[in-house]
Amino acid sequence: MVTKNKKINRIILYCLITLTVVTTVFPFLVMLSTSLKTGQEATSTTPTLLPKDITFEHFIDVLNPAVFPFWSYFSNSMIISLSTAFLAVVIGTLGAYSFARLEYKGRGAFQKGVLMIYMFSGILLVVPLFQMITSVNLYDTKLSLVITYLVLTMPVALYMLGNYFRTIPISLEEAAMIDGLSRFKVIFKIVIPLSIPAIASVFIYVFMISWNEYLFASVFITSEENMTLPIGLSHLFHTKHYVWGRMMAASLLTAVPVVVLFGLLEKYFTGGLTEGGVKE
Amino acid sequence: MQKGVPKQEVSPFEEGVSKKKTSSFKKGEARLGYLLIAPALILIVAIIFYPVIYNIWLSLHEVSLNPNRPNTFVGLQNYINLITDSSFWHSVWITIIFTVLTVAGATIVGLAVALLLNNSFKGRGFVRSVVLLPYVAPLISVVFVWQYMFNPVYGMVNYTLGEKLGIMSQSIDWLNDPTAALWLVIIFDIWHLFPFSFMMILAKLQSIDKSLYEAAEIDGANLWHKIRHVTLPELTLVLGSLVILRFIWNFYKFDEIYLLTKQVPVVGVYTYQTAFATYDHGLAAAITATLFIIVMGFVLVAVRRVLKW
Repeated sequence: MVTKNKKINRIILYCLITLTVVTTVFPFLVMLSTSLKTGQEATSTTPTLLPKDITFEHFIDVLNPAVFPFWSYFSNSMIISLSTAFLAVVIGTLGAYSFARLEYKGRGAFQKGVLMIYMFSGILLVVPLFQMITSVNLYDTKLSLVITYLVLTMPVALYMLGNYFRTIPISLEEAAMIDGLSRFKVIFKIVIPLSIPAIASVFIYVFMISWNEYLFASVFITSEENMTLPIGLSHLFHTKHYVWGRMMAASLLTAVPVVVLFGLLEKYFTGGLTEGGVKE
Repeated sequence: MQKGVPKQEVSPFEEGVSKKKTSSFKKGEARLGYLLIAPALILIVAIIFYPVIYNIWLSLHEVSLNPNRPNTFVGLQNYINLITDSSFWHSVWITIIFTVLTVAGATIVGLAVALLLNNSFKGRGFVRSVVLLPYVAPLISVVFVWQYMFNPVYGMVNYTLGEKLGIMSQSIDWLNDPTAALWLVIIFDIWHLFPFSFMMILAKLQSIDKSLYEAAEIDGANLWHKIRHVTLPELTLVLGSLVILRFIWNFYKFDEIYLLTKQVPVVGVYTYQTAFATYDHGLAAAITATLFIIVMGFVLVAVRRVLKW
C-alpha cells in the first residue's frame, strides 16, 4: 500500500514538473517553429505547432544587411551592454568594498540610500533625464544609455557585491594586512580573486538589464545607426519588414547572447542574485 | 591609497597599538572608504538625486518643446490639471488591478514551483534553470511571440480555445479589446516574472534546517502540516520582501505592457504617453512627482515595518 502510494505520488510529481516545463518553454517553441515556417504557413487560420515545410529564409534575411540592419543593432547592443557591465563591475566592486569593510561617517546613510534607489523605476526619471541628456548634447548617443544603465543597475551591483564581501572571512584580510599589504592591495590580491562568482553574477545581471532595456533606448535614441536591438526590433514591427517568420528569427537571435551567457554562469547568477537581491 | 599611514605596526588588529596610531589608521580607512564609494556616489547623485529634484522643478513649469526657449512657471497648475483629469484616475485604477493580480500571481506560482522543484528527481538542475527562461530571455523577443500566439486571426490561443476545445463561442481580440488586453498583460506578466520569485524562494527553501522536518515527522505531521508549520513560517520574510518589492516594481511597469498592447493605460504607460506622445513634459513631471511621493510613503511605512530596514 505504502509503495503504491509512493508510486502515485511520484507520477503526480512528474506530471506537475512536465506541466511547469511545458508552460515555461512553450512560447519559445512557438518562436522557433514559426521562424522556420513559410510566410503563408505562419499566418494560416489553422495554426500548427510544427512547421510542415522548413525554411531558413527568415534567418538568412535577418542576417542580410541589405534586407535588415540586424548586425548594426546587435553590435550597438553588444557595445552598450558590455561597457555598462564592465563599468558596473569596476565601480560596484570599489563601492561595495567601501560599504562592506571600511568605517566612516555616513556609511549607514549611504547604504540605506542605495536600498531606496533599488526600488526606483526608470519611468520616474525619464522626463528629467531626457531634459538633462538633451541639454548636455548627449541626445542620440550610445553614451547616454551607458550612463543611464550604469546608474540604474548600480544599487543592485553594490548590494550583491557588498553582501558577498561580508562573507569573506575578515581574518584573511587582517592576516594580509599584518603581512604588510595595504588595503588597496588586499582588495586586488585577496578580495577580488575570492569574489569571482559574485562579480560574474553582477556582470551578467547588468549585461542582461542593458541588453533588454527598452524605455530609455526608445526615448534617447532616434537614428537607426545608434539603435539597440529592442528598439530596432520594435521598429521592424511597424514597417514593411513585418513578416512573422522574420520577427521570430530576429527574436531568437536576440535571445541567444543572454541565454548563452546565462547558461554558462547560471550557478553564479542565481547564487548572487538571491544573496544580494532580497535582504534576509 | 593610505597616505601617511605607516605599514604593519598601525594595524588595529595587533594588540598594544597606541591610541594615536589607531586614530590615524581610522582616518586613513575613512578616507579610502570615501574615495572608493565616490564614483558610485557621484553617478547616483547626478543621475538619480538631481533628476528627482529637477523633476519637481519641471512639474511647476510649462516645459517648452524647444530647448532654447525658456520654460514658463505655472505653479501648481500641472497638479490641478492632473487631479481633475479622469483619465489619470482611470489609469491609477487599472494599475492597482494589474499590480495586485500580478504580484499575487507571480508570488503564488513562484512558491508552488519552488516547492515542486525542491523535491528530488532526475534532471532537477536542468529543469530549475529552464524555468528561469521567461525571466532571462529578452523582453522584446517574448513579447513578439505572445502577440503572435494571441493574434485574433491566426493565433493559436483563440484557435485552441474556440475551435478545438469549444470553450469560447467567438474569438477574443486579446490585443485590442481593453478588458481582454488587461487580462493578457496580467497573464503575461505572471509568466514573465514568476521565475524571479521562484529563484528567491528556492534559495530560502534550501537553507531550511532538515531536522525541523524530521522532528515534525516524528510528531506525525503529513505533507500539508509540514508546509503549514515548518516551510511557510521560514519563508515569511522572503515572501514579504518579494511581495513588497514586486508591488513597487509592478506599480511602475511600463515596457512589457506598452510593447504588448496599447490598450492598457497603467500609470507607467500614461506617463510615457503624456511625455513622449503629447510632449507635455511639465504634466508628465507632475505625474512622476506625485507617484514618487506615494511610493516613497509606502516604502517608508511598509518596507521599514516589514523588512525592518
